[in-house]
Amino acid sequence: MNKFSKLILPIFLGVLLFTACDPTGEERPQGVYDAGVLILNEGAFGANDGEVFHLNSTTAILSPNLFEKVNARPFAGLLEDLVLEEDRLYLVANTGKVEVVQPGDFKSIGGVEKDLNQPRSLATARGKLFISDYGPYDANYNTPSSYVAVVQGLDGGVVKKKILVSSKPEDLYAFGSYVFVAGSEGKKVEILDANAELLFKSLEMPGQPVQFLELNGELWVFCYDAQKVYFVSISKSGLSQTKIQSFPVAQATGRIAQGDNDTFYLLTSSGWPDYKDGITVISLATGILTTDWKKGTGFYGIGFDPKKQQIYLANAKGFQGNGEVTVYQKSGAEVSKLEVGRGPSGFLFR
Amino acid sequence: MTFALWCVSLFYFASPQDTVVLAEVGVHAAALDRFSAGQTLISYDKNTLARYAARSLGDLLQETSPIFVRQYGAGMLASPSFRGTSAGHTALFWNGIPLNSISLGQSDLSILPLQATDRVEVHFGSAAALFGNEAIGGSVHLSTAPPKGRGFQGSLSQTVGSFGLAQTSMTAGYGTAKVRFQSKLYRQNQPNTFRYRDISRAGAPWEQEDHAHFRQQGAIQELWWQPSLRAQVKASVWFNQAEREIQPVLGSNSEDLQEDESFRAVVDYQYQQRQSIWKIKGALIQDRLQFNGQNNQTQQGILGLDWERHSAGNWAFRMGLRGTWMTANLSTYSVTEQRLEAYQSMGWELEDRISVSLNLRQLAYPNELVPFLPGLGLEWKLVQGERRELLFKTAVGLGVKLPTLNDRYWNPGGNPNLRPEKSKNGELGLQLKQKGTFTWSQRLTYYRMKVDDWIIWLPKGAIWSPENIREVHNQGLEYQANSSWTTGNWNWQANLGYTYSRTRDRTEEESQQLPYSPEHQGNAGLQLSLGDLAIDFSGFYVGPRSIAMGSSRVLDGYALCNLGLSFSGAKWKSIQLPLRFQVLNVFNQSYEVLYLRAMPGRSYQLNLTLTL
Repeated sequence: MNKFSKLILPIFLGVLLFTACDPTGEERPQGVYDAGVLILNEGAFGANDGEVFHLNSTTAILSPNLFEKVNARPFAGLLEDLVLEEDRLYLVANTGKVEVVQPGDFKSIGGVEKDLNQPRSLATARGKLFISDYGPYDANYNTPSSYVAVVQGLDGGVVKKKILVSSKPEDLYAFGSYVFVAGSEGKKVEILDANAELLFKSLEMPGQPVQFLELNGELWVFCYDAQKVYFVSISKSGLSQTKIQSFPVAQATGRIAQGDNDTFYLLTSSGWPDYKDGITVISLATGILTTDWKKGTGFYGIGFDPKKQQIYLANAKGFQGNGEVTVYQKSGAEVSKLEVGRGPSGFLFR
Repeated sequence: MTFALWCVSLFYFASPQDTVVLAEVGVHAAALDRFSAGQTLISYDKNTLARYAARSLGDLLQETSPIFVRQYGAGMLASPSFRGTSAGHTALFWNGIPLNSISLGQSDLSILPLQATDRVEVHFGSAAALFGNEAIGGSVHLSTAPPKGRGFQGSLSQTVGSFGLAQTSMTAGYGTAKVRFQSKLYRQNQPNTFRYRDISRAGAPWEQEDHAHFRQQGAIQELWWQPSLRAQVKASVWFNQAEREIQPVLGSNSEDLQEDESFRAVVDYQYQQRQSIWKIKGALIQDRLQFNGQNNQTQQGILGLDWERHSAGNWAFRMGLRGTWMTANLSTYSVTEQRLEAYQSMGWELEDRISVSLNLRQLAYPNELVPFLPGLGLEWKLVQGERRELLFKTAVGLGVKLPTLNDRYWNPGGNPNLRPEKSKNGELGLQLKQKGTFTWSQRLTYYRMKVDDWIIWLPKGAIWSPENIREVHNQGLEYQANSSWTTGNWNWQANLGYTYSRTRDRTEEESQQLPYSPEHQGNAGLQLSLGDLAIDFSGFYVGPRSIAMGSSRVLDGYALCNLGLSFSGAKWKSIQLPLRFQVLNVFNQSYEVLYLRAMPGRSYQLNLTLTL
């Protein structure tokens, strides 16, 4: 090895270690927010004070209001979902917009500002954005005109098409040229052709599908009804339902976190008037069910940190002010409590 | 004060032959002045009300008093906050009948046009013993007055202004020795097409508001009749209708529509004996609120009997009964309810130096007897001279707010087991007056209040439900100074006000300032007149306030200034043509009252009135 190699190789390796490649081939340094935990704070209805907080997993420093801090303007929306795809972070506001930021530093790079009603989630496919949207309420507060909005370009832009789907679409999952839509109220998974931008196929579900999950390379969708929860496997190649595993979990809320070893953490709630919340733990592999792993009120979101093997529980505290996040070990032991923004509802672990 | 003297003169000095002057009938008005010793009162004179003629009650209170008005946009919901309490802790009355919605338990000041009132009086502190339900933080009393003099009187007023504002009002009255009529009509069209920076969008582009159109119209008909030397009748009917596009919060694309319609009718009969006076009040109130096509209607019938006696020994005594019948037909429930309240007031004066008032009230609603409500006040003139007067004031009292019909019956979520909210209030004050070429008065009040069982709506899964959970401790200082003087032909008037309000939620161990409760507020004004020409300059400041409990997000304080120019010398034959031009938000300040609610920048208004 010559002198040049001795000098350059470690530098080259060091640069490789601390940079990531983006689709354009340009090297991007590791950003402040490329590691740690992003905390979604939904905000309060009528206040539009949703925001993202960042928890540095090493220093335990909590940084509030990332979007406003970096972009010098408020997020101004109810933050429904946070989606990391194509080296972009999409902030979906159910008040009618999507903001696109760089994941490492939260700098705004675009967005979808108009022609959305109540966006819920987002997926990217074929260089386009697919945004699930409840659509407008009718006179009886139903949503018969729900759709998936299509935007050409990954950095946002204008809505070019709205593909009508069943009422109240939630999570999206893109695979190849297909976009799977969890049609919660219609109890079906609808499959869109991302090229033709058309509804391609519908699969009936045993309950309300709300969340897609990847498990051992397979696509699953989590569904629930008043008495049970269902994990439904969908063949990505055959575009058909392959198997169902159901569990007698009553009063599931649709909020779920995927742990390790096929373990899932579900939020349950008796709702009004008793209002008893809980966490149920399900092992898909063994079928073991643990109800009321934790009990309380105000549970509003749950997450699992795969690196630290910790469970994050969000409590909205009645939306009166700051919410609270409690971190647990898998044993159930409490690790810490954090005061976060208003209406914490989910987590993105980097 | 003039009104109080006028009332007193009526009771003590009016001769039986005096049939020309009609006394005004109004249970609350007499009680407000006569039995509220030691409490803080603000009365607005006619000139001040005239300056706000094309604006709302909310604007008047925000800019000239210690009240913080939470405005949800231009022409949108405006709710008062007295001494750090919520909108539901303010009682509002028009000619003695309650204006607060029985389903919501509060009023929207933006749909209480000042054309509908001739007098505005504001009372601070808990005074449920005097005014009943909801008078925890304070109360606002609107009332109408008969036209002065005999014969026909009338006026026509037209205001035009920025953002498409057009407002027309008409008043016509006729009086004889025994009968007086007055009719008022008004109409307001306010497209609110102001420009604002949309800070929710990249680059914060300038936008024009396109969903805040406000229309309001209404009519008032009144009759004063003196059928005999001892008897008087006053009848008032008010119809008001407002239609609004609800201005969305920045970042939202909602297109909500709201229509409010109110019909209020009140009849007061008063019979005067040698030292006492009987009063009967009957009223009907109908409110309809339509939100995005959903109708919510409520009705109230009120019947009251009141007896007041004034003895030569400077004692005043009052007692009465009031029954209220309520019906509510809302989108999620229908209910009827009756309430009964008995009250008693005593007032005593010693040589015009000391006055004491004691008020007691017992209120009952279905299956509940609200705790007995006393209130005690004292005023003592420590110094009383021809040119100088120093007055010490103190008052203590309890307040109460019954759970609203929505709190108890909204389906789903209503909680029939709620307890009434309760408050304890105490205040101390000094008032110094100096008369002379430079006349001034200063008033400093310290108050302390505790509100317990404060009702908060909380989510219980997807359904929100109210609970008695919050305990709030408030204390603060209110300072107000007014002065007037003359230099040559120039007449000057100045006012200055400052309020410090500490409003802490003590529900949990760590106390926190309540959201949207500024610790600091202030206002100042200067009016200068030369003959028929007058210039007024006013400004107010609202301090920083958090948007949620314990929130790190704090809105900046803001200060706004207004400038007005009036000329009252124009005449054509017997018609007077007063003209007024004003600039609002002179310095084009960008501000938010509530988070992400756009507010207009500088605007102009021109008003021309024809008065017969």
